[in-house]
Amino acid sequence: MKRFYLLGFLLLMGFDTLAQISFKVAGTQALPVEASLAWLLRVFGQPWVYGAVIGYVGAFFTWMALLKHAPIGPAFAASHLEVVSVMLLSIWLFDEQLTLARGLGALAIIAGIVCLGLAESREHEPAADAEPARG
Amino acid sequence: MPAEGSISTLVASLWLLNIVLDTGGQLAFKAAAGDPAAGDGLARWRHMASRPWLWLGIGSYVAEFLVWIAFLSLIPLSEGVLLGSINIVAIMIAGRFLFGEKLTRLRVAGIALVALGVAIVGLGT
Repeated sequence: MKRFYLLGFLLLMGFDTLAQISFKVAGTQALPVEASLAWLLRVFGQPWVYGAVIGYVGAFFTWMALLKHAPIGPAFAASHLEVVSVMLLSIWLFDEQLTLARGLGALAIIAGIVCLGLAESREHEPAADAEPARG
Repeated sequence: MPAEGSISTLVASLWLLNIVLDTGGQLAFKAAAGDPAAGDGLARWRHMASRPWLWLGIGSYVAEFLVWIAFLSLIPLSEGVLLGSINIVAIMIAGRFLFGEKLTRLRVAGIALVALGVAIVGLGT
């Protein structure tokens, strides 16, 4: 069962990461940003925006399945820790730099997400499956 | 593409708009799903569809989708996802004020750390 959760968390992170990478490529290809129909047509006229849709839909259903079975705390953390995978992939794929500010900021944010995950775990311990579907 | 290291007014506005739409959308869904008069099953969905909350939520999410694409196209992705973490803070604070959700000490610590991290990233650009 542990392996099932782990796989679910990884799948959730994978879908979220796919969505963010796709958003970035879709946005870059649709530049310049303008509040116009032309911009919308550029966004929806190339395949990456649909990668973002797939990532979102996939993440949604994985999240719903996880909430049914997995503890809420780790699920919450996993649903937000894609910042780590997205950062690493942006350095690799888009030649972005891990500046000091981004590194320190990321550490604080990750620590915060872990705290919030622990808080959720604690709160839901006595009635683990009391209201999982409300998210 | 603007040089790395400069946050323009447009980027800041898109960031703020994203917070408003994300928080507003989640609260609208919460209001739609939490309505005790809604009943069960198909009747519940019909009830939700006949009231504005569900549609407000869907509309917010569609708008947020576009705002987020525009936002990310203007700044590096690694910075964008970090700055976007502020949504976690916004929704928890909104939940506290609107639904009286408890803020335990651990939650306050988590919120403060995420906010601190976002501030470091934002000021460091």
